[in-house]
Amino acid sequence: MPSLGTFVLLAAFVMGAYAAAASVVGARRRSRRLIESGLGAFYLVTALMVLASGIIVHAFVTNNYAIKYVQRYSDMAQPLAYKLASYWGGLDGSILFWVFLLSVFGAIAVHSNRERQRELIPYVVATIAIVEMFFLFLMVIHNNPFETYLTETHADGAGLNPLLQNFYVAFHPPALYIGFVGMTIPFAFGMAALITGYLDDSWLRAVRRWTMISWFALSFGLVLGMLWAYEELGWGGYWGWDPVENAGLLPWFTATAFLHSVMVQERRGMLRVWNVSLVIVTFFLTIFGTFMTRSGVVQSVHAFGEDRELALMFTVFMVLMLGVSFGYVIHRLPLLKSRHELDSWVSKEAAFLANNWVLLFSAFFVLFATMFPTISEALMNQRLTVGPPFFNKWMAPIGLILLILTGVGPLLAWRKSTVRNLREQFLWPVVSAIVVGGAVVALGVRVWSSGLCFALSAFVFGTIAQEFWRGARVRQGGTGTDVLTALVGLVARSRRRYGGYVIHLGIVLMFLGFAGEGFKTEEQVLMKPGQQTTLRGYTVRYDGIRITDDGQKQMVTGHVTLFRDGKQVGAMEPGRHFFRKREEEPTTEVAIRRGVAEDVYVVLAGYDMQTQSATLMLVVNPLVNWIWFGFAVMAMGTGIALLPESTFAFAAARAPAGTVTATLLLLSLLLWPAALAAAEPQHVETPQSAAVEVARTPVEKELWRELVCMCGTCGRKKIGDFCCGYAAQMRAEVRTLLDQGRTKDQIFAYYIEKYGSQEPLAAPIDEGFNRLAWLLPYVFGAAGLGLIVTMAMRWSRKPASAAADDGATEARVEADQSLSTRLDDELRDLD
Amino acid sequence: MKQRAIKIALTTLVLVGAFSGLLYSTLRDGTEYYKHVEEVSGEPSRWYGKKLQLHGFVVDKSILRRRDSLDYRFKIQSNGSVIDARYTGVVPDTFKDGSEVVLKGTLGPDGFDVAPNGVMAKCPSKYEPGK
Repeated sequence: MPSLGTFVLLAAFVMGAYAAAASVVGARRRSRRLIESGLGAFYLVTALMVLASGIIVHAFVTNNYAIKYVQRYSDMAQPLAYKLASYWGGLDGSILFWVFLLSVFGAIAVHSNRERQRELIPYVVATIAIVEMFFLFLMVIHNNPFETYLTETHADGAGLNPLLQNFYVAFHPPALYIGFVGMTIPFAFGMAALITGYLDDSWLRAVRRWTMISWFALSFGLVLGMLWAYEELGWGGYWGWDPVENAGLLPWFTATAFLHSVMVQERRGMLRVWNVSLVIVTFFLTIFGTFMTRSGVVQSVHAFGEDRELALMFTVFMVLMLGVSFGYVIHRLPLLKSRHELDSWVSKEAAFLANNWVLLFSAFFVLFATMFPTISEALMNQRLTVGPPFFNKWMAPIGLILLILTGVGPLLAWRKSTVRNLREQFLWPVVSAIVVGGAVVALGVRVWSSGLCFALSAFVFGTIAQEFWRGARVRQGGTGTDVLTALVGLVARSRRRYGGYVIHLGIVLMFLGFAGEGFKTEEQVLMKPGQQTTLRGYTVRYDGIRITDDGQKQMVTGHVTLFRDGKQVGAMEPGRHFFRKREEEPTTEVAIRRGVAEDVYVVLAGYDMQTQSATLMLVVNPLVNWIWFGFAVMAMGTGIALLPESTFAFAAARAPAGTVTATLLLLSLLLWPAALAAAEPQHVETPQSAAVEVARTPVEKELWRELVCMCGTCGRKKIGDFCCGYAAQMRAEVRTLLDQGRTKDQIFAYYIEKYGSQEPLAAPIDEGFNRLAWLLPYVFGAAGLGLIVTMAMRWSRKPASAAADDGATEARVEADQSLSTRLDDELRDLD
Repeated sequence: MKQRAIKIALTTLVLVGAFSGLLYSTLRDGTEYYKHVEEVSGEPSRWYGKKLQLHGFVVDKSILRRRDSLDYRFKIQSNGSVIDARYTGVVPDTFKDGSEVVLKGTLGPDGFDVAPNGVMAKCPSKYEPGK
């Protein structure tokens, strides 16, 4: 199996090389057949990558610990979902996943544009194939995920880092990678346009949707990362300007800039050089981000493996790529002349340009500050580092400038705004900003940047509301319906524009969340059971700690009761989990009480079993939930903007993502009071003795996990969960039964008899899903094979000329049809 | 055309100048020197009051904690030089005898004052298994 995997990678590399060569040669010689064969090879790479993914997933599911990668990133005890997530748990697998995604995206993009962009396709194929080849080369030479141990045998794996065994992280890398990889498609089309010289705006149309989807996936990945940092790492924040976080943010800035500047080129034919360059820079930053986090160029708290060889390969690739692409840009400068000049600084174009400059500046500033230790070491032999405060000092004003532009851009007219329409447009947004600003001053908000942020948010909100309102009124006048219907019709008619406004709205809500950061309170206290402390109107009482074990990990849970104005508002259980084989790295289980206005966030930072005392970190995070909610709004906006004729598969795959997050977040916002009102546990807590009770034999441990506490109020907790005194009695009972020499089955029988049903047994593991999951790799493999076979069948058909007459006419009709659709398209563009 | 070029050049010059000035001034109070213990202990008075990130190893059995509080005193060393450190707050799990740490804070005549949350013990990587 592993050797087959390696072979598939090699085959994919060769195929990619052929696809690139055949496409370029075919395009230069105008040989249709060569181009087609290049295309075929390109699709074959996709099939091979599906197969390779199937093999690695199969290895994970079947616990094939002969493969190093599988041994290092998974183990027997892991739930199945995380076994699948282990696929991208490490470097080698993420590269494989990267190429897999790229080949699939490339195939879709090429297939859907093969008629419309006939001249560009060969070069698109060649570009994507070359990028694939680079990563395949990395894998084959340096990081082969299929590498096996030569002599050692392992019965079990080292396990996925427990920090990564979290719901958000299962989706975080794939989302980021979709974003990163998706940016390769616009780059490939841009390069093809540069090489062929077909630099009209049609290549932009081909990639607009791709950019939008990638941009959204990137945003989604970043937000998931923030959520994960907030809930899993337990330092009370969600963004620490860590190199790894910044690596994902850099391409986000340039992609956002590109999404805006494309509109200027579409409307006014300006900024052509700029757009091509932005696409190249965005792609470069995705590669650079990967390089930065993986090569140890920037040392961060995540001690990534420093890897000279990998760094060298990446550097060579990046230098070549930049050289070739910008060489072409310079070569094509005469063709990239813009049709118009900037007429006035008081115009939409100028606002877009300003937005682009600010975003690009942000990208380069973050890049500079992230690389600062490396740069200073190279220049001055002094390692100087800059911390988050430095980033915040710069990025807070930059963020506010962007917020202003978000509000100003839509209000300005194209070409030149007159004084009269400036007055008309700016009146209400400015009024709303002044009202909120006045309120901020009156309430005496101490943090000026947050106060300014509130006022500016009001300004942008006013702008968006005004746009919707005026548009709806105009439409109402035209169609004579009620306002709401007019509004829906308006959004449906110009989806991109109003989808964009909804995204802006989401951004504003996120900014509210960021502004809340200025009012954060944090306290670290050492408490004994029964002690209380107060923080921002809350009273926190610490009740004690408890240790439990579920076989995969040992859990230390602190019990904290929260009061507000003397009323008990909830019980919180911050904890630490010590995973098996990773006792040195306990994970932090944060207890969060979410709220519309603020989160209460409790971390068990340290504890002492002897004295039962604990060190707690208490944080009050105002407005933090608006970040997640704002993202849900952004997802809705993206959905609206992409709604039309977006390929069915993506619509199906994305709508749930957007709606699910939105619904979940809405629900979490609506339901938290209900959740808080949930009944208090009714059974009596027995204080645990300081000495921890442990199972003596493996059989006893199993029984602890497979028998349920029968006290009636524990809610079917296992007796090994130390839930109450009754469970302790049952454990003692189990121990005596074992001492009498009874087997596990006899003990089960004893309990079934005692309670008259199977109730004391914990539910048997559901076999159905597991069986399905076993099928997965085979399905993958079969799909890959099927693809190969159908391709082979289709290409080996005789050419039309040798076929029967009716076949020939059919082919001709088909050709005519494809030609006429192209003609239609091109004529439509002339309107 | 020529006039335009001059305009553009001037604008760029002014902008770049302004940004460099800003950058320089913020960098001056934003940067922390990343130093190993032996680089500082030779001439400690030179570094008094400057923001440092100090890299070293916790000296065995040197961690003292005041009863019922979060006040820590410990020593860190690297290549034979030792510096006393004071800290109040939560320490990471990996902060133990002999562990590799980076401390953020300032150096004074009677030792190193660690800033709040300024103890960073070598964090096991998020992605790579512990070796």
